[in-house]
Amino acid sequence: MRVRVPFRAMAAEHEIVVDHDDARAARTAIDAAIAEVHRIEAKFSRYRDDSVTSAIARAAGGAPLAVDEETHALLDYAATCHALSDGAFDITSGVLRRAWDFRRRPPRLPSAAEIDALRPLIGWQRVARDGRTVRLPVPGMELDFGGIGKEYAADRAAGLLVAHGVRHALVNLGGDLRAIGSQADGRPWRIGIRPPRPGPGAPAAVALVDIADAALATSGDYERFLEVDGVRYSHLLDARTGWPVRHWRSMSVVAPVAVAAGSCATIAMLLCGGAPAFLRAQGAAWLGIDAAGAVHGTLDPGAR
Amino acid sequence: MAATERGALLAAALALPGVTAAPGAAAQGAPDAAFVQFKYLDYRDWQPGGRRMRVDNPGFYAVKPLSDTLAIEGSIVYDGMSGASPLYFNALSGASGEGVRDYRTAGDVKLTKWFDRFAIGAGAAYSHERDYISRAGTLELRTWTEDRNRTYAFAFSGAADRIHTESGAAERERKYVLDFLAGVTQAVNETLIVQSNLTYSRGHGYFDDPYKLFDRRPDRRRVLAWLTRANQHFPERNGTLKVAYRYLDDSFGADSHMVEAVWHQALPGGWSVTPSLRYLTQKAAWFFRGPPIGSGLRPGEPYTADARLSAFGAFTPGIVVARDFGDGWVADVKVEFYRQKASWRAGGGGTEGLLPFSARWIQVGVGRSF
Repeated sequence: MRVRVPFRAMAAEHEIVVDHDDARAARTAIDAAIAEVHRIEAKFSRYRDDSVTSAIARAAGGAPLAVDEETHALLDYAATCHALSDGAFDITSGVLRRAWDFRRRPPRLPSAAEIDALRPLIGWQRVARDGRTVRLPVPGMELDFGGIGKEYAADRAAGLLVAHGVRHALVNLGGDLRAIGSQADGRPWRIGIRPPRPGPGAPAAVALVDIADAALATSGDYERFLEVDGVRYSHLLDARTGWPVRHWRSMSVVAPVAVAAGSCATIAMLLCGGAPAFLRAQGAAWLGIDAAGAVHGTLDPGAR
Repeated sequence: MAATERGALLAAALALPGVTAAPGAAAQGAPDAAFVQFKYLDYRDWQPGGRRMRVDNPGFYAVKPLSDTLAIEGSIVYDGMSGASPLYFNALSGASGEGVRDYRTAGDVKLTKWFDRFAIGAGAAYSHERDYISRAGTLELRTWTEDRNRTYAFAFSGAADRIHTESGAAERERKYVLDFLAGVTQAVNETLIVQSNLTYSRGHGYFDDPYKLFDRRPDRRRVLAWLTRANQHFPERNGTLKVAYRYLDDSFGADSHMVEAVWHQALPGGWSVTPSLRYLTQKAAWFFRGPPIGSGLRPGEPYTADARLSAFGAFTPGIVVARDFGDGWVADVKVEFYRQKASWRAGGGGTEGLLPFSARWIQVGVGRSF
């Protein structure tokens, strides 16, 4: 039977679906997976004073701060993303939110001066690390695990489900998905990709992708954006310029694990025209919708 | 540029604590795209002072999924062979037969159906030369554990061959061979896969080579082969080391040991380079007699002077350069060089008087998936 548990964390709606003979065992596994998602949110959320992220920001400009192995592992991963994106993906770039307020009504664009004022606070290459500590050199700098944490949580949740004996499950954290096996009847999990510009006449899904034992993540200007003079500015900011990228409306990537799918999708958005070569090099299957609404990629939009 | 470092992001993701991919996830399922491939093989062999045999072999391979769980695959090869058959002894030099020009057409087709926990396949093959017709059928079953970390394979195949030469050396002769295979493949962890296969083959009928003087072999042969392989992937190097060992026990007496090491290196831009080295050491068949030809021949008893049944050691270095163009097209070039020498036999005891035998293969392949 199928057990489906929706929940909310990390300011988004999530759901875990498990196919299992024993509903109680499924529920026990799901509860453990949800607890893991909450643990990761509490540890890395920049909105909580007791998080690692807040502690690192508070120590900026001061003495090196000792952090645990899990934090170090995530920083290592962030370093790889930074290198592979030639600096476009940078977890120190969250400070740009101080200039880009996507909730402000009426919307307004930041001035070049506002963005330039933040530049001294951005730059992964300036973060000092040794095996145990991390130090941000300038007060006001901060780290933002937002581009990694949710997908990492999806993979960790999937790992806990497997450890509880689950063989068929779908972990959906705000549209980033990790499938364990297929559905119980052997069919793959079929995922619809939402159109980046929904509205009357737009289809419910622009593409259908079947996954089993794999992850699918989508990055795009779906929700957080601001529109000025008819131009949509997405929340995906190139750390090198401080400005949103506009080449792709959305990028969906299939990879073996969610954290790789998620950062591939984000980096592909940031690399604009360089995305296909990057995704090919990373061995990822992808589907991108460009600024004109045309579909590109190696995933067949009609279900793989 | 760093962005082209192949698969680096996935390798980094798998280094995170508690992040694991489903092992072998993609391994068990119907192919999700059709694939066609054209390969062209150019083969030559030679001995010091000897003539060459040359084979040009265009081949065509295609696999097509018929549904989510059913796939059909097939191939056709067409060989044109020219030149004399290989020379084996100094004594024979210049005495071999006239040049041969022959053609072989061969094709096979296989249907595989995947179920939740197992897959079954059935296939048929046919090969036709002027003097040799072979028909074969195969049945196979593969099953895997629920976590898909372990796969068991069982296969059974049978072949019926008909040999008829114009020279009259072989007149409507028949040969029947049955093969049984049992194997297990285990994913030990994310990066290590180990496989072990046992193959038992038994045949009866005409095993002689009708083109070799005095060649007469036993009419029954059984071969037991045990092959073990391990593939270790090194994510930080984007490379995979593949090692293999095969022991072969042959009722003809040509028992052999084979070891092989292959390194597959992924490179930026979809390129890969795969150097390999194989070493084979073999005992002579019990009815093999060294040169000069005909020495030790007793009328009515098995006899061969075929160098392939002598005692020798052989090295095969090779390299494959391949490129995945990323848009469905793949291309590869494979070069292998084989050299066989009596003195290379492990522990000595190689057949004396045997000339070194060399061969090389160059194969060019182009494929496209849809």
